Amino acid sequence: MIYYLAMAFSVVFLLFILNLVKKNKLDEKYSIVWIIFSLGILVISIFHDWVMGIALKLGVYYPPILLLLFAIMIEGIYIVHITITITKQNKMIIKLTQELAILKEKVEETDEEDDKR
Amino acid sequence: MEKNKVLVVIPAYNEEENIQTVVNEVDKTNSMVDVVVVNDGSKDETLEKAKLTKAKIIDLPNNLGIGGAVQTGMLYANKNDYDIAIQLDADGQHDPQYIEQMVQKIEEGYDMVIGSRFVQKTGYKQTFFRMLGINITSLLIKQITGVKIHDTTSGFRAVNKEVIKEFAKRYPYDYPEPETNMKMILKKKKILEMPVEMRKRIAGKSFITPVKSVKYMVKVTLSLLMAKLKLKEY
Repeated sequence: MIYYLAMAFSVVFLLFILNLVKKNKLDEKYSIVWIIFSLGILVISIFHDWVMGIALKLGVYYPPILLLLFAIMIEGIYIVHITITITKQNKMIIKLTQELAILKEKVEETDEEDDKR
Repeated sequence: MEKNKVLVVIPAYNEEENIQTVVNEVDKTNSMVDVVVVNDGSKDETLEKAKLTKAKIIDLPNNLGIGGAVQTGMLYANKNDYDIAIQLDADGQHDPQYIEQMVQKIEEGYDMVIGSRFVQKTGYKQTFFRMLGINITSLLIKQITGVKIHDTTSGFRAVNKEVIKEFAKRYPYDYPEPETNMKMILKKKKILEMPVEMRKRIAGKSFITPVKSVKYMVKVTLSLLMAKLKLKEY
């Protein structure tokens, strides 16, 4: 039963992501991870016998835990990626703010000189 | 010898009560220097008050925090070819009569001069948390570099052209003073701690609370430890 639920979830999730990309609300480059993620869930829920086999080989006696571990690892990596992106954007914003403010000062200075003439 | 171009950088965030007094005092005591006020997205009348003075004004559209504001001053100094930049707080704690002496020391060959309240005993009273912060960062810097800086958090500093260029390129955003001090030591810059008498801020309140102090200590400790690792990147 849980595998049907997972299958349904991954299909809905995949459509949701594709729709976001279509509406330009999500960049393609950020959508790739989510597409792979949802396809992964789909494949695993269809071939859940394999998961059972791998889990038992790894010494995991409750196979869904393996899926959970897999999901948490992927999301952890992705969150780090996102914080890297935020850091980069933060630097860009600071740089822009600084350059803009310095330019503003220059423009005002030039305007004042023009007024004096 | 040609006279060195000196710029006094005053980062200001919500300092409407003090900014005019501070700029005018710098102007009165040091007629040869240029002053730039970096208004760090203040929510009060700091910008309007600063415009009443002779200072040049850089008005940041966002609040970048002290590091971003000081770096803006350094960028400005770098773009306009200043030889010496002096950072001075907008709250009136730093007495501008020391500027001349700081400039002299830079001209004598120091890369950075830190206005320090501890090299000699002065009348300045510290709050408990401020003292704790200074002691811990000072100890950390001593442990990592072997050099003792007494007043690690002093925001009253003069730097030469070379350091201006470096600061314009890279400057920490949060709590920049201890980290930059350490970086300068690691880069074998000549640093002088010059005794200065610090005053009480003229008006308004300082914003040190216990929670902020803990956050400060964690961040600063991390930044100091990381600075050593990051050095290769610079």
